[in-house]
Amino acid sequence: MVKLIVIDASGAEHILDAEAGRSVMKAATDALIPGIMGECGGCLSCATCHGYVDEAWAPRLAPPSEEEQDMLSCAVDVLPCSRLTCQIEMTAEVDGLVIRLPEAQF
Amino acid sequence: MAEATELFRKSDVPAHVPAECVIDFDLFAQPAPEEDFFEYWKKLQGEGRPDFVWTPYNGGHWIATRGEDIHTIYADHDLFSSRNILLPVERNEAIRVLPTSLDPPEHRPFRNLINHGLSPKVVRGLEPSIRELTVSLIEAFRARGHCEFASEFAELLPISLFLKMVNLPVEDRIKLKALSEQVNRPDGSMTPEEVNQGFYDYLMPVLLERRKNPGDDLFSQFLAGSIDGRPMTDGEAFELCMQVLIAGLDTVVSVLGFLMMFLARNPDHRRQLVADPAMIPPAVEEFLRRFPLVAIPRTVIRDMEFQGVTFKEGDLILVPTMLHGLDDRAYQCPLDVDFNRRIGIHSTFGAGVHRCPGSLLARAELRIFLEEWLSRIPDFDIAPGRTPKVLYGIVGTVVDLPLVWQA
Ligand code: HEM
Repeated sequence: MVKLIVIDASGAEHILDAEAGRSVMKAATDALIPGIMGECGGCLSCATCHGYVDEAWAPRLAPPSEEEQDMLSCAVDVLPCSRLTCQIEMTAEVDGLVIRLPEAQF
Repeated sequence: MAEATELFRKSDVPAHVPAECVIDFDLFAQPAPEEDFFEYWKKLQGEGRPDFVWTPYNGGHWIATRGEDIHTIYADHDLFSSRNILLPVERNEAIRVLPTSLDPPEHRPFRNLINHGLSPKVVRGLEPSIRELTVSLIEAFRARGHCEFASEFAELLPISLFLKMVNLPVEDRIKLKALSEQVNRPDGSMTPEEVNQGFYDYLMPVLLERRKNPGDDLFSQFLAGSIDGRPMTDGEAFELCMQVLIAGLDTVVSVLGFLMMFLARNPDHRRQLVADPAMIPPAVEEFLRRFPLVAIPRTVIRDMEFQGVTFKEGDLILVPTMLHGLDDRAYQCPLDVDFNRRIGIHSTFGAGVHRCPGSLLARAELRIFLEEWLSRIPDFDIAPGRTPKVLYGIVGTVVDLPLVWQA
């Protein structure tokens, strides 16, 4: 199990034990955390699992693929630290990862 | 179940279908008007029924009746192909739609264009237009104290929005609505070829013009897109635009119709939303779970055992999205409408690569509609002595919903 902290737009912190290998989106939607949808189930088709990666963590993640960047351009309120969280895999290296959710997904 | 229409041949039961799975179910049968659409579909989950049933109607096909299987089948394009999206299977030869009838990898480049055209960013930008259209449609009949909700509101909103997105005059909706009606509810006055030609004659000159002078509208975006490195052909552009138009019509019409039928009959739920409009977004999610209405088939790609059932290559499985949100294995008391319910997975918008790209637009339409309607007409009822009319089929649709209120 890997620790994942999701901070929703209201500032509430959700601390999750995610199964290693699961995506941040899956872990968060399984827990029914408000403010993240993951409409397409993780096939890079919807841009509704948009989240902000806390600064300290960014260098430890693989950079987004071209397909992810293309879909990310469809999201609202995109910042340099924006990611589609279906593309972030929970592994031992990112134990304790902090993700903030935007005001809205659309 | 219901009286069969006998429109289509009944086929023989194939050897691999166990007798206990065989039922009589005609997708196109029209039950009595008093029947509740959702309870009718839910009978397929009746006690003692296997999770997969098989009916000889409409060429013979399976029906997946349980939420989890429905979700899995939509999501698994390696085992279940989209090459036939209509029943009976012969109809797929006459009607081609992009990208719905394509499997990966051919599906992806077309879908990419739609993803961009209906993205979160685009939907947010459309909100003011949705609100303006919604208000103007409601104000057109508010003072009168009654309306036929399907034709005076529900059918006009998505068409008007489509015209806005492709930058065509909203007055054209009269012409487009007449044509769309022939697609979804043919009355015999036009052949399918004439209907197709009608759309072609309307859309093609616009598409050709936009190719020459692109704007920032949806058509221009589609035309500028590349399909595996080559430009889209005119024919492909036409099929794609048609699909986006048609897919957003009956579906939104129906959810609007069913939720208004519900709110007209349930003043307590109505008052909750009037008193606290912040409940409208969760209510939209609950309505989407409770009122799913699309049933599309998939084709089995190879012989296999799936959940203990033997499928043969080419078998057709009808996958009713209705039966996921309404499955008591997935939701407690699934027929109850509860705006505080915690909503997990359902299949109202499908799943996997074909999952509805219009789901955000649909949500925005439903939310804005409820905000603007309930602040203007908080109390309303179904016209006394009238029964709303629902049509059953691939997409369940509310076609007649007479509403009255104190003007
Ligand atoms: C509440 C309303 C809606 C419902 C219930 C709904 C339902 C669905 C479902 C179940 C599918 C999957 C079909 C399949 O897997 O074969 C689908 C696909 C599709 N929908 Fe929707 N839809 C709605 C609104 C819209 C809107 C507003 C639009 C566009 C403006 C739209 C455009 C499409 C398109 C283009 C596809 C085909 C996607 C593909 O094949 O990749 N839908 N819809």
